[in-house]
Amino acid sequence: MSAGSDGGDGGERGDGPPVIETHHLARHFGSIVAVRDVSLTVHRGEIFGLLGPNGAGKSTTIRMLCGILDPSGGGGRVVGCDIATQAEEIKRRIGYMTQRFSLYEDLTVEENLKFYAGLYGAGGGGQGTRARVDESLARAGLTSRRRQIAGTLSGGWKQRVALASATIHRPPLLFLDEPTAGVDPVSRRDFWDLIHRLAAEGTTVLMTTHYMDEAERCHRLSFVFAGALLDTGTPAEIVGRRGLRAVELEAARPIEAADLLRAAIAAGEAPGVEEVAHFGAVLRVSSRSGVDPAPVVARLLAARGIAVANLRPARVTVEDAFVSMVREDERARASGGEAAA
Amino acid sequence: MRRPLVIAWKELIQLRRDRLTLAMVVALPVMQIILFGYAINTDVRHIPMVVFDQDASADSRDLVATLLATRSYDRAGDARSYAEIERALRGGRARVALVVPPRFSSDVRRGRSARVQLIVDGSDPQTVASAIDAAAGVVADRAASLGVERLARAGQPAVAPAVVLQPTTWYNPELRTAIFVVPGLTGVILTMTMIMLTAMGIARERERGTLEQLVVSPVGRVELMIGKIVPYVGIGYLQMTLILVIGRLAFGAPIVGSVGLLYLLSLLFIAANLALGLFFSTLARTQQQAMQMSFFFLLPNILLSGFMFPFEGMPRPAQWLSQALPLTHFLRIVRGIALKGAGLPDLLGETGALAVIFVVLVAVASARFRKKVG
Repeated sequence: MSAGSDGGDGGERGDGPPVIETHHLARHFGSIVAVRDVSLTVHRGEIFGLLGPNGAGKSTTIRMLCGILDPSGGGGRVVGCDIATQAEEIKRRIGYMTQRFSLYEDLTVEENLKFYAGLYGAGGGGQGTRARVDESLARAGLTSRRRQIAGTLSGGWKQRVALASATIHRPPLLFLDEPTAGVDPVSRRDFWDLIHRLAAEGTTVLMTTHYMDEAERCHRLSFVFAGALLDTGTPAEIVGRRGLRAVELEAARPIEAADLLRAAIAAGEAPGVEEVAHFGAVLRVSSRSGVDPAPVVARLLAARGIAVANLRPARVTVEDAFVSMVREDERARASGGEAAA
Repeated sequence: MRRPLVIAWKELIQLRRDRLTLAMVVALPVMQIILFGYAINTDVRHIPMVVFDQDASADSRDLVATLLATRSYDRAGDARSYAEIERALRGGRARVALVVPPRFSSDVRRGRSARVQLIVDGSDPQTVASAIDAAAGVVADRAASLGVERLARAGQPAVAPAVVLQPTTWYNPELRTAIFVVPGLTGVILTMTMIMLTAMGIARERERGTLEQLVVSPVGRVELMIGKIVPYVGIGYLQMTLILVIGRLAFGAPIVGSVGLLYLLSLLFIAANLALGLFFSTLARTQQQAMQMSFFFLLPNILLSGFMFPFEGMPRPAQWLSQALPLTHFLRIVRGIALKGAGLPDLLGETGALAVIFVVLVAVASARFRKKVG
């Protein structure tokens, strides 16, 4: 599985040597293979997403890139250092935000920042460190809450403190492990603003997520599935490569309509049509290989006397692409063939 | 040096905000010293006794009165038969029964040996020992004075016994339990809190995910260990001081030897326990497990170290096992300094043993800590 091409679309992004470059990274725990084969190239200022279901190997990959877990196979360089031999160098130059924000809940916001500033020697110590903490608080909009105990903050505010802590030493590379889990939508949007601002200033960001809408906010992303990368590219490239099309419609009896369509797909009566999903009152039907699902859907539902309204083409999303890829992988495995290449 | 200090600073703030732990750090020694100082007393007095006086003479009444005067026994009533004695012992109304035989008085007066029987409830061995000692002492005295009287009546001068044992008790002449217990209690309290605080301190970081954050930071394992441990050394000294001061004020437990030496050697003991706490923290996944392990470890310490039961009375394998416990050696050090005024030359053996245990624990703890945290 090769890494996608440079996704840089002008500006400073993508200047210089890759910030992350790995070759066939693998890691197993005993007989369990967590990461099978991950080859990645991430450039300066990119926001790169690792997208995949739980247990796909995202966190294990990040832990190897941080230098806290030795690879069982393959290798790579992160911020110019070898991940197997220069772990300590790497640790000094990266920021890492864990899944659970990992704050000291019994310290105040300011004390949390001071603690991490002290550990990394941010600002050079003394007055410089204090200035750095003040600056980080201001930047994250936390100044008015600096004396609040971190444990009493809501999820969104905790996330801000965690991000401010992880970037207190201004690392050139920032790892975010499911950074928006358990955070309300408004806070998520604010968070993404901060991330894009960091990236525009030259910070490289590698994040994991299983939220598809979030993946679309990345410059480039990779699908991780069963410990390997299924595809890598910009969201548009990935969606485009799948040749997916989708329609939305309102059916009189949506549950029955969905069951009917799924039965038809399973029986092979709807070639190319792949997925049926409910979105409120709307049914969404997607297909691959450039097949237009509209005529098939109209024919099948009409045959059963289910009235259809507002049958219209829909935007194909990263989620569609992901589901399609996983299905293809499943089909390949079920038919006894090789896993999708 | 900066990073361990930053971690220690953070630990102290967390401790200040953790009211429950803070309360435990202070309340535990205070509670324990009051409990052990007041409530626990191994020299048993006021043992309830029934008397089966088959002689009912002036001599027999005199003997009973003398026994009661030692305050080792309280009269719990009279028995008129062995069956009544059995009922009294079985029901717990009495722990001891005194049987004075018929013709006690006449035997004594005629110079014949009179046998007085002491029946003791053996279900509690410690009471048995005290009960027999007290009675034996009284009866021996009585026999001696009767002998002298008899010789005097026969017109012969009193002859001094050939050999006299003159027991002299040093260091704790009144044999007060509190004085013995207070120094030892410092060791028990330190074992308990030091291990628990460190084990829980790391387990808490693991539980809340902050350990992961520390592992990706440039903090080295050794730096992390030092930063975590240093604040607890201070707490250990605080607890020790608390016990010694309360022991002095409330129970008059002295420190005969050098306080400076005591505090110096305590550092080795505190550090050994902290290393043990770190080791436990690598085994425990949650704070609760860390707590359980600490308690599990505490029990053999209390039982085998010589804190409550004499080391000399233990079977060989138990003695070997107790040699591996830091508390065993620390108890000898702290009792030596506090009660006997022992100096460093007297304590070299125990200090050496403690040092060996400390080095082994640090090696094991840091090896496991390295492996597990990374």
